Amino acid sequence: MDYSEAADRISRKYQKSGQAVDVKKIEGKLRRLVDEFGVQPSEAERSVINELNKEFNIPAAGSPAGGGRAGGANEQKRIADAAPGDWVTFEAKVVALSAPASPSIAQSGILADESGAIRFVVWAKSNAPKMSEGSWYRIESAVVDEFKGVPSLKVHSGTTIREIGEDRSLIPTPLPIKDLHPGIGGVRAKVVQEWDASHERMLQSGLLGDETGTIKFVIWKEPGKEKLKVGAVYSIFYAQVDEFNGRLSLNLNAATIMQEDAEIAVSGGESAVRGAIVHIAPGSGIIKRCPVEGCNRALSRQNYCPVHEIQPKFVYDLRIKGWLDDGEKTHNILLQRDATEALTGITLDAAKEIAENNPLGMDEVFLRMRDAILGRYIVCHGREIDGRLLVNKCEKVTFDSGEHAALLNRAGGAS
Amino acid sequence: MSANPRDMPRREGAFEREPARRIFASELRECRYQFKDGDDEKSPTFVLLPTGERSNRIFLVGTLTEKTRQGEQNVFYRGRVVDPTGTFFIMAGSYQPEAMQQLAKIEPPQFVAVIGKPNLYQKPDGSFMNSVRVESITVVDKDTRDLWVLDVAKQTLDRVDALKAGTGKDVPKAKEQYPTIDPAVFRKIAYDALAQIRM
Repeated sequence: MDYSEAADRISRKYQKSGQAVDVKKIEGKLRRLVDEFGVQPSEAERSVINELNKEFNIPAAGSPAGGGRAGGANEQKRIADAAPGDWVTFEAKVVALSAPASPSIAQSGILADESGAIRFVVWAKSNAPKMSEGSWYRIESAVVDEFKGVPSLKVHSGTTIREIGEDRSLIPTPLPIKDLHPGIGGVRAKVVQEWDASHERMLQSGLLGDETGTIKFVIWKEPGKEKLKVGAVYSIFYAQVDEFNGRLSLNLNAATIMQEDAEIAVSGGESAVRGAIVHIAPGSGIIKRCPVEGCNRALSRQNYCPVHEIQPKFVYDLRIKGWLDDGEKTHNILLQRDATEALTGITLDAAKEIAENNPLGMDEVFLRMRDAILGRYIVCHGREIDGRLLVNKCEKVTFDSGEHAALLNRAGGAS
Repeated sequence: MSANPRDMPRREGAFEREPARRIFASELRECRYQFKDGDDEKSPTFVLLPTGERSNRIFLVGTLTEKTRQGEQNVFYRGRVVDPTGTFFIMAGSYQPEAMQQLAKIEPPQFVAVIGKPNLYQKPDGSFMNSVRVESITVVDKDTRDLWVLDVAKQTLDRVDALKAGTGKDVPKAKEQYPTIDPAVFRKIAYDALAQIRM
C-alpha cells in the first residue's frame, strides 16, 4: 500500500472543509494498522477517517465519502436518496400527520418531495415549531434512522425548521406493487379481497392488486377512517410499507386515498412459470387433514392436529410441495389435489388404495409421484403469495420443433 | 439465535434457493475456478462457468451409461451421464442417502434427470476434474432429454450474448479466469447439440 498517497487523499478531504490535519500522522496511523495489525488497507483507511470525524465532531455517516464531507449535514438532499445514518436537509411538504404514539413525541407524520416520501418524528424535547399538514418546510440537520426496517426522519433539538411560504406542486407517482419497498409508497390498485379482521382494533384488512401483483393492506380503527370497497379502484399515496418476515404490507392509516372510476386488470399475482421440477419436499403426496369444520390442517403421522389433537376420522388429500427451477430462479410451488392428480396421473382414490394396502403406505405414494414428475419440464399457472406459487393449473411441456429450428438458427447464424 | 433481522445477513423470508444452472458437459469440463460467496462456513460454493455465470447447482439430463459401487465401509456410487457434448461424472455417497438409493436402483443405460452440485478437484498431476454430487436422480424419457437440450442450448446462447455485451455480474471474473476461452466455442457446442436431436 502507498501510505503517503492514501494519507494525502484523506487529508485533502479535510483541508477542503478548513480542517487542519497532519498528513504525517495519518500516514503513520495507516502504516501501523496495516503493517503491525494486518488490517486490510481499505479498512485501515476507513478507521482513520472515522477517528478524524470523531475528532472534528463530524457525524459518522454510512460511507467514508459521506463522513469526509464536513458540510454534509447542510447539503440539501432528495428524500429518495436519504439512507439511515445520514444527516440531512430537506425541502419537503407535510402530507400527513398522525397521532403521536408517545408523550415524548410532539408530532409524527409523513414528509414528501418530488423524489419520494419519508416518515418523520419530532421529539417533544426538540422545541421545534409545530408544522401543519399541507405546508412546505425547509428542515435542516435532521437525522435519518431506521425504525422496524423503515427509514424515518428524526427532528431533534439541533434541527432548524423554517416554513416555505409558497405552495409548490407535488404530484406523487404510484409504483407498481411489485416495486414497493419498505418506507412510504403509493399505488394505484383494486381491492381484490376483504379479510376477517384479526384484531379488534383493526377496521379492515385485505388484498390490493394491480397489474404487477398483490399486497396485503391494513386500516386501523381511528376516528374518520372509512373502509375501502371491495372491487373498487383507488389511488393511494403516502401509505406506509411495512415489512414483516420478508413480506410487505401497506398500512393505510396516514395515506391519502382517492377512489377512481376505472378498472384494473389485476394480475392477481397470476403468473406462469416454466421450468424443471428440481425437488419434491416432504409432506407431498397423500396427506391426512383434520376433519374439524374450518380447520383442515395437515395431520402428523399419528393423526395429531396441532389444534384439535388426535383425529382418527381424518380426511385424505393430495398435494405437492416442491421447487420449480427455470435456470435463473427457483420457485417454491404448491399443487393442490386437482393439479396433483392431473400431473402425476394418480387419483386420490388410487393413492388411498396404495396408502392402505402397500407395505410402505403413504411413503409409496410419495415415491411414485416423485418418480413420475421429478426432473420433468412443466408450466405452472397460479398466483404467487408470500414467495410461494399456488398452482391452479399445470401441464407438461412438449417438444416444440419450431423452437428447435429457431434455436438452431440462432446458434448457427452468428458463428 | 438472535431475532434481530440486522444481525442475520440472510433472513428467513429472504432465503432464496440457488437455481440449478443449465450447462452442457463440455462447458462444465472447462471450469477451472471455484469460489465461496462470503466468509461464513455455510456460505455457498460456486463453480464459475466460462460463459460468465456462477453455479452452485446444476440440472442435467442425459444417458446414464455406467455406474459403479465403491467403498467397503462407506459405500458410494459413481456414474457417467452422457449428453450430446460430453460426459458428466456423477457421484452419490452416504451423505446423500436418498440420491444413493435412487442411483442404486437404476440400471444403465437409461435417460436420467440429475439435480446436483458441481465440484471441482485438482488431481495430483495438476489437471482438473469436475464431478456432480447428486441430490436427486430419476429415470426420464427421451422427450425430457430433448427438452433439456433445447433448454441448455437457449441458456448457453443467452450467456454467450451476455458475455459479449459485458452484462452480468460474473462476466469480468470469467474474463479474468478464462482469458483464452473464445465464447464462440460455446455457440458452436450449442449448435452441434441441437443438430443431434430429432434429426
